[in-house]
Amino acid sequence: MTNAMELYQMLPKTNCKKCGKASCMAFAVVLMARELKPEDCPPLVEEPKYKENYEKISNIFKPSENATETGLIVHEDLCFGCGNCVVACPPNVANDPHGVGSGNAPTNPNKLVLTVQDGIVKAQNLGECRRFGKNKILCNGCIVTCPVEAIEFV
Amino acid sequence: MDFGSFLTSPEIKVKIITCRDIFQEKAMIENHFGEDYINHSAVIKLDPADLKQLNVKKGDTVIVKNSFGRIVVKAEESGYETPHRGIAFMPKSPWPNMLVSDETGGMGVPRFKDISANVTSAKGEKITEMESLF
Amino acid sequence: MENNYHVCTGCALLCDDIEVGSEKNKINKVFTACRIGMAHMKEGKGEAIFRVDNKSVDEATAINEAVTILRNAKKPLIFGLGASTSETQKIAIKLAKKINATLDDNSSFCLGGVVETLIKNEMKTCTLDDVRNKADVIIYWGTDPSDSHPRLLSKYSYFPRGKEKQRGWEEERTAIAVDVRKSHTAKISGNYFFQIPPKGDEEFIDAVIAGLSGKLPKTSYNYPPKKLLELANILKGAKFGVIFVGCGLIYSLESLESLSRLMKVLNEKANIHLMAMVGNYNSMGFNENLFAETGYLNSVKFENGIVKHGPEYSIVESLKAKTVDAALIVDSDPFSILPRSIVKNLQEIPVVSIDPYETLTSRHSKVYINTAISGVEAGGTATRMDRVKVSFEPVIEANRPSDEAILKKIMEAL
Repeated sequence: MTNAMELYQMLPKTNCKKCGKASCMAFAVVLMARELKPEDCPPLVEEPKYKENYEKISNIFKPSENATETGLIVHEDLCFGCGNCVVACPPNVANDPHGVGSGNAPTNPNKLVLTVQDGIVKAQNLGECRRFGKNKILCNGCIVTCPVEAIEFV
Repeated sequence: MDFGSFLTSPEIKVKIITCRDIFQEKAMIENHFGEDYINHSAVIKLDPADLKQLNVKKGDTVIVKNSFGRIVVKAEESGYETPHRGIAFMPKSPWPNMLVSDETGGMGVPRFKDISANVTSAKGEKITEMESLF
Repeated sequence: MENNYHVCTGCALLCDDIEVGSEKNKINKVFTACRIGMAHMKEGKGEAIFRVDNKSVDEATAINEAVTILRNAKKPLIFGLGASTSETQKIAIKLAKKINATLDDNSSFCLGGVVETLIKNEMKTCTLDDVRNKADVIIYWGTDPSDSHPRLLSKYSYFPRGKEKQRGWEEERTAIAVDVRKSHTAKISGNYFFQIPPKGDEEFIDAVIAGLSGKLPKTSYNYPPKKLLELANILKGAKFGVIFVGCGLIYSLESLESLSRLMKVLNEKANIHLMAMVGNYNSMGFNENLFAETGYLNSVKFENGIVKHGPEYSIVESLKAKTVDAALIVDSDPFSILPRSIVKNLQEIPVVSIDPYETLTSRHSKVYINTAISGVEAGGTATRMDRVKVSFEPVIEANRPSDEAILKKIMEAL
């Protein structure tokens, strides 16, 4: 699965802000979340030198446009419990800003999507995950922060 | 008859850099003599092109030796996308320590991350057992 | 699940927010700790073992034998202690004084040099809490904390919200990795991974300094000047930067001169701190405790009240030159961590090993005393990698003596 960093690599990296975002990285993140489309980056579309990357990025988003409900999978054999995803997960931060949001142990475990137990990340309360429910977005906070690609949405 | 065994195996020179591996460390805490620790320690990670030159498949054993010692360890692909021919990585453990020079310039710091050694196919020879290291 | 937090002594991060579940005095569930911490916490279960010449004996016999070895030694070595409590370390220092021993720990062949500049306030440093609250530029140089200090990024340095960093890592922090390989940490750093050739650090430092001074940064390995200038610019703009230094950087430098030069230039333009990625949970404590006592961090020899210091008193040089005739190894496994070409000399002298774990060293020791894991079965205090003191209580009841208790007994008997 592509992550925002890989998308960022293919963007102009000029931080021109024409897309309305503060930086190309920020654009990559919303692109990944499907909030914006590759076409929303004017230089990517207009400037010939980005033609190849524009095609590449467009291709990435084509097949997934029809993606339906997604499911989170933790590859437990790969995970080593660093907790990056736990701390970076937006609903985790929102629901427990002084616990996991600040890098600490959970203080509100019933509302958390990700926690680490026995050295491995556990997914729970999936109703809180931004990828679920009617207002879902394709958040990838847990994926881009994982050093070992232990989290996947299928 | 396996005529291949009569041919000299290709040999390459490598610089070995030792590094950390969390799964190895966890295995060590659980049992310093356990299979899991040995499997994560007696390993050399090579560039795929080096494996090819050695005529060795990933998972096969190789002989790594220099004037300080000789070990048989499992060869693996490093998985790093940047080519690094001639540079190999090993999790820090008693196995690479068999090959570390005693030359320290009197400063007390061995060259753990700068080990020169030669690698050849071990032709099926088993991984050096921990008991035989000392 | 208990509702109080424990300290994990699995590495020098000393995470203080670990919850555990236990049954019949055995930890069976560990929350929030990484895999290392989980394995470490669950190891607390050992029964006392005392061995002489690999035969089981009782405690008194083992201690007697250890005392005899140390008493008969003319030039004893005491080594290890990076994974011992400060209380244990202080007894070991007293013991070394009493028996005129050479005393050293891992830092002599790892990060001792950098740690010395920090303890002597020669380089600017800060705490991990400062990093969490303020850091905007974080560099991991020659270190892979994802594998060695797994929660460094999530608990302190990159992902958490901090007092002055409320908007999150994507917007407010830049993580940079400089390394010879794309480690797990380098992967997280994405586009800010600077891959350099082995032994390329010195030149890279010079190139960054050139970039900081507005000159064209050049390296013999043709590192793209544009990327180097980009790095220099990020560093220049750092309001609170921190460089985490690992052995990968230190082993590649001839001396620390270039690193301190870099720090000097950086701090003329920005605000950059340095931290050493010490591995053992209380290696920093050992260095501090010995420094307080002798003015040196490691590699000392006590001689009738006088303290000698120098690389010749490091474990590596002492063993190489065979200047020690017995060894007391506490919570360390030199047979695994040192080159065989050097540590083989340990086989020629009597060794006393005090360790919660059976190791290659314990198997090659004349006397082996299996002790409680500090932080799991025994309490005490330790110094975190950023020099913050942390104290901890045992999590479960111990079935074996602490190394502190054993050292005290040896000391008394001597």
